[in-house]
Amino acid sequence: MKLCIIGFGAVGKGVSKVVSMKKKMLIEKYGLDISVVAVTDRSGAAVNPDGLDIELLIETKEKTGKISDYPEYGISNIPSVQVLDDIDYDCLIEVSPTNIDDGEPARTHMLKAMQDGKDVVTSNKGPLSLNFGELTSAADSTNAQFKYEASVGGAMPIINFAHETLAGNNITSVLGILNGTCNYILSRMANEGSPYLQTLNEAQELGIAETDPTQDVEGIDAACKIVILANSVLNMDVSLKDVKVVGISKITPESIALAKKEGLLIKLIGVASHDNLEVSPRLVREGSPFAVDGTLNVATLRTDLADDVTVVGKGAGSIETASAILSDIISIWKART
Amino acid sequence: MRLNLVLELLDVPGQLLDALDPIGKLGANIVAVIHQRDVKTERGTIPVHISIEGDRETLKRVLKSIEEMDIQIIEVDGVVKKEKITTILIGNIVDKDLKETIKVLNNINGVRVADLNLKMSDNPEESASRIVIEADYGIKKELIRNINEYGKSKGFLVINEI
Repeated sequence: MKLCIIGFGAVGKGVSKVVSMKKKMLIEKYGLDISVVAVTDRSGAAVNPDGLDIELLIETKEKTGKISDYPEYGISNIPSVQVLDDIDYDCLIEVSPTNIDDGEPARTHMLKAMQDGKDVVTSNKGPLSLNFGELTSAADSTNAQFKYEASVGGAMPIINFAHETLAGNNITSVLGILNGTCNYILSRMANEGSPYLQTLNEAQELGIAETDPTQDVEGIDAACKIVILANSVLNMDVSLKDVKVVGISKITPESIALAKKEGLLIKLIGVASHDNLEVSPRLVREGSPFAVDGTLNVATLRTDLADDVTVVGKGAGSIETASAILSDIISIWKART
Repeated sequence: MRLNLVLELLDVPGQLLDALDPIGKLGANIVAVIHQRDVKTERGTIPVHISIEGDRETLKRVLKSIEEMDIQIIEVDGVVKKEKITTILIGNIVDKDLKETIKVLNNINGVRVADLNLKMSDNPEESASRIVIEADYGIKKELIRNINEYGKSKGFLVINEI
């Protein structure tokens, strides 16, 4: 299977590493021989129909910051869409930076691949939460496979879990902690009694929160995931503007202390159900499945046959997210062979 | 002795039979069952009135086994059972709105403020209050909606249970 990877940040690099790490196992277990034939970033692309050297890709990106500096096969300033036109590939891995204003350029990349009948795997929440219907119908129209397990909860299985493992169940709602950064900050505030801003700064120093933490702490990232879950798991037709969002930036140590005295914790909780789409700080019982610490994610799916099913896992991280992407690649391969 | 219960059942076949099953098995007598499918609670469930007879210990065991089946008992001998709801408000409640907040909540039918705790901050806007409310079964959703609306009108950040 020939992969084209658009975006070579933490996730793109993680996918390459995992593909290379698991090469032997994938061939032996599934007969799946993966080669990366193209990688693109802002600088341009590296393209080789016979397969690129993954260690060299990572080394080049880490040394110069530009994938176009890849020896011999690097091309400067070539648009990703043109790469999709020029090369022969089977599956697009769209892991370029998330844009929640218009989903671009990832939306264009994915639509282009789908129109050409190529399968698409992505972790990109922007187009998924803004253009879900458009993307799924584009994939359907050419029988392209479209997978996005990594977009919600990183390594925590949820989308394919709902579709496949819980197949036959009617899922009525999903409730979860879907942002690791917020959970880390709230856990630290609860354990140490520290104020919000100080805890945020420490999280930034540790690389857990981004320099501009707005999307995480104001609940927008979690809201994107709620939209993806509502559309794909609950079969709704909604977008980001339909979600009521309150973040954690106004949570005070005083409120956390009061909650604790009653055996409660404050967590940023996302809710997706047919009558409610919401992200807001909520009270959860200590000792309940939602009382997870650190950057963990957790989600409970309410079903008609299996009752409540709860999943927990690491919500972020390069290799963890790549794990979800690899599982999508394998399931596409299984369906195609 | 006799006990009058109101149980809350889902509107699906077999629910009533399941609920009645342990009563006979545990040795209590069923005196009356009033089951009207067209009377529903706001949650879409059906309140079923049941009168049972037996000695004290038997009736205790019956109540326990009904609760273990996750069937909600909403009334025992005419006394409406309550559920406890905790909410936290962040904002400058002390200076202006403490009395009013309690009054607004107490004025809702079936609702009583049972406990109130305050934690002051150097910045009054960051002060927090924890309110524990006792409410009749079945009105939680409506109550939380009311609290959210009230909090919004006062500029408080409202944190409710899930």
